[in-house]
Amino acid sequence: MIKTTKLVFQNLKFLFLSLIIFSSMIVTLLIISEYIFLEPYFVTHIPSGTEFGFFLITAISILSALVIPMNLFRITNLKSSKQKMSGSIFGSIVGSVAGACSCGPIGFAVISTFGSVGATATAFLTNYETPLRIIAIIILLITYFTTIKSLKTECRIDL
Amino acid sequence: MNKKGAILGIIVISVIIGLVASISSSPSETYELDMTRTHGDISTAMGSPILGDPLAPITIVEFGDYQCHQCYNWFHNTKPMIMRDYIETGKANLVFVDFAFLGKDSPKASQATYCADDQGKYWEYHNSLYNSQESKIDSGWANSERLKAFAFNLDLDMELFNECLDSEKYSKRIQYNSQQARDNGVRGTPGFFIVGPDDQKQIAGAQPFSVFQRIMDSMI
Repeated sequence: MIKTTKLVFQNLKFLFLSLIIFSSMIVTLLIISEYIFLEPYFVTHIPSGTEFGFFLITAISILSALVIPMNLFRITNLKSSKQKMSGSIFGSIVGSVAGACSCGPIGFAVISTFGSVGATATAFLTNYETPLRIIAIIILLITYFTTIKSLKTECRIDL
Repeated sequence: MNKKGAILGIIVISVIIGLVASISSSPSETYELDMTRTHGDISTAMGSPILGDPLAPITIVEFGDYQCHQCYNWFHNTKPMIMRDYIETGKANLVFVDFAFLGKDSPKASQATYCADDQGKYWEYHNSLYNSQESKIDSGWANSERLKAFAFNLDLDMELFNECLDSEKYSKRIQYNSQQARDNGVRGTPGFFIVGPDDQKQIAGAQPFSVFQRIMDSMI
């Protein structure tokens, strides 16, 4: 497993892509979920009772940064199918959207624009934030292990 | 001609009945408020009673929704320190203004606080809502029955409270407060304005105590 992961990230292009995906996802999600504030001062904090949410965001960001470049590697270097790529993108999107609305500016904008439909959607994403993020992590984990398996087969890595 | 007259008569009678019915069912908003009360650029006339010393040099105006979990986080993590260091020491006071937009139970919960205020227990009721908040929006934790149960637990006169809540006496007050939030550029809850002697600063979100401390210390 480590050998396969190394194979992908030995290529600096994919390592760089992974770092960009991780940093942009974690910063965006932490801002949306109010762990980071930029105004009036830059400040970070983890309020009591929200530690698990912070852990889930970190896990989604790490897994997305692993799985998306690995699948891009398969597609570009091995001309493999794009099926697993959609799994990783789907997992990342579900994980990101869950809880993103809530009572912050995004939720307010969605409710103001779409009225009762927006309010229902916002309530759903807020109420099921934790289960949705756990589902996203499961999707990303499954995609990660199936990608490793197919890379082993396609590259004939001898373990 | 007679037929036309009869139809016209029916229409006129229907309109009169409709008008009488709408007037009699309108919530009677006969509460006394100081409509000139403002803090900085914000009209807080329809907001909560002032928590703390009304003559304190700084006023924190909080826009919040009782179903917002970030408001819950702020209430439990940041507000206790602000109470201890600024409100109880007379350096600041706080006004809560309702921005009830998250779900169908949000405006009702806000109305209930003013029904409690009629009996002098606004802040006790406000606190009981944030202490009882459940994580799911519109899950029923803030429906009419539960709101009445919170009032019962605070030993309020239930006949007065129920009449107030069921008649939606304060629905326009909540609409006015939510409009104040929009007019002042609040785009989510909780939203704050720290109004000092010379200026006011806006804070968006459930920010930590250090941010409030830094701003208020620079104003004193």
